[in-house]
Amino acid sequence: MDWTALVLSLKLAAATLVVLLPIGLALARWLAWGRFAGKAWIEAAVVLPLVLPPTVLGYYLLVGVGGGSPIGRWLHETLGVQLTFSFSGLLLASIVFNLPFMVQPVQRAFEAIPRELTEAAAVSGLGFWQTLARVELPLAWPGILSAMVLTFVHTMGEFGVVLMVGGSIPGQTQTIAIAIYDRVQAFDFASADRMALLLLVLSLTAVAASFLASARLVRRR
Amino acid sequence: MKADDVAARGAAADAPGLQVEVEQRLPMPLAGGFGCAAGELLALVGPSGAGKTSMMRVVAGLTRPQSGRVVVGGRVWLDTATGVCLPPQARHVGLVFQHYALMPHLSALDNVALALLELPRAERRSRARHWLEHVQLAPELHARRPAVLSGGQQQRVAVARALAREPALLLLDEPFSAVDQMSRQGLYRLLADLRRELAVPIVLVTHDLAEARLLADRMAVIDAGRVLQQGSPEAIHRAPRNARVADLVGLQNRFRGRWEGPAAGAPGRGWLRWLPDGAAGHPDPAAWPRLAVLDKGRIVPGSPVTWVLPGDAVRLLDAAASASPAAPGPGATGHADTVRLPARVAEARHLGEITLATLDLPGLPGTSLRLTLAGPRRRRIAAGDRLDVELDLDGVHVMPAREPGNLPPAA
Repeated sequence: MDWTALVLSLKLAAATLVVLLPIGLALARWLAWGRFAGKAWIEAAVVLPLVLPPTVLGYYLLVGVGGGSPIGRWLHETLGVQLTFSFSGLLLASIVFNLPFMVQPVQRAFEAIPRELTEAAAVSGLGFWQTLARVELPLAWPGILSAMVLTFVHTMGEFGVVLMVGGSIPGQTQTIAIAIYDRVQAFDFASADRMALLLLVLSLTAVAASFLASARLVRRR
Repeated sequence: MKADDVAARGAAADAPGLQVEVEQRLPMPLAGGFGCAAGELLALVGPSGAGKTSMMRVVAGLTRPQSGRVVVGGRVWLDTATGVCLPPQARHVGLVFQHYALMPHLSALDNVALALLELPRAERRSRARHWLEHVQLAPELHARRPAVLSGGQQQRVAVARALAREPALLLLDEPFSAVDQMSRQGLYRLLADLRRELAVPIVLVTHDLAEARLLADRMAVIDAGRVLQQGSPEAIHRAPRNARVADLVGLQNRFRGRWEGPAAGAPGRGWLRWLPDGAAGHPDPAAWPRLAVLDKGRIVPGSPVTWVLPGDAVRLLDAAASASPAAPGPGATGHADTVRLPARVAEARHLGEITLATLDLPGLPGTSLRLTLAGPRRRRIAAGDRLDVELDLDGVHVMPAREPGNLPPAA
């Protein structure tokens, strides 16, 4: 068992959640209730990482923010940040490829809230933030929970993009999914076995939990 | 206040109540206005899709019309001319939604407490409990979520939430449509109690005319987004402004005729020539009865008219042996307040406490009277019976004939 890789994966998944949750909530709420031109294109862009091959996504991130690109050069010169083959690069990639996993379930959950309820809240004197805190978020909570679980597990398991953007530097960018690949390459099946089983159990539990949560959402209506 | 339509309108305009004026074309056409004094109940009636709920949303601030003005208790809530448009939060309106719109994740008590957020937490709950007791929701139900409450109980919670705002205006959108007859009676009583104790205007949106007549002081009839007429339910039934209003308020005895102008020798009366539906192509209108009815001086002599006769202006009499079917009504020179016509019972349906009867008038082809009968006499009526009907001409209300697509301007 490669503990360093596991800890790195957990760290990456947690950091992704922390950064992506507020972005995802705002984006999902906007897409669920907003009516504006070009909404379909934004929705398509959000879903894109789901259908794009991870290597393609990784490739564009690499050339887009890598040391050779204007953005990458600017980041390196002014902030001293290097986004390729580093943890921050991994985090950026992780946020991008997890966007649909976070936004889609949350958007569906917001969409499922009857407009009448927010109107009733407004008539009862609740302002935007009060309605959000006391009506919308509690009602969307099962969807938000399942989005968080999916995002976490998906980050733990992502392989292609991580390999493209991060390489496989132990302790810096080698996640557990890449560690499994390395172990198999080295014919260390005992290690690969344990890590694979861990990921399997984790994923199954998470998906089951998200299903339970959506069942609860349906039951309430 | 039911004494006179005009006087009532004046009173409603003076009292610090509700005044609404709306005019828009999109997204749906809305036109007209209505008013309601504090302590009065106004029913907005009309068929489904007539714009009743849209009007109510404008008043509550949930939609902003292209142009309009809403004044409640002397405060301007909306005035597109000066750019005033208070958000719903600032309007202090109590709104009971058609499907109640209770928060599914909150208990009955917390639903009501939600409308009391400006109070400290402890006080919030005690006030919420007070309002739930006020609408007679049993204390053991206070902690339950809406999903496990009956329709009538949910509605009481919704009313309590609306009252908790201590609203300057109470709006009820079809509040009785989703509850069974038993709960409905209880809720009618609750509404009657509220009317007595609240000194604010109450607006009830409904498509049920019986309900409107039962509960309302005033009525505004809406069709296709237009307010066609407003006044007391009695006044509207007695004198609908046009044939469409007569249809909408369910006046069944509606006939065609021609207005022949003032009746000589009978001040205040005018001649109405009854043109039976089955008389098309008949060469001589003089063959049909001429009725001396009250003349309000609004109709040009010679114009086609529609006229209505309320059920209580018809009296059933035993058939008079001498009555000649060919000579109904008064002579050409004299006049009478009543006219007696022979009739034949075409159908009599005995239902519960009432009987629905259709009477053919043999002297008037294609014309029949529809009556709802109560009292001992109704049982003795059967299809085929011959009897006389006496029409009280003071009850006749004459309107310009309906011309399709040319409704008169809204009230």
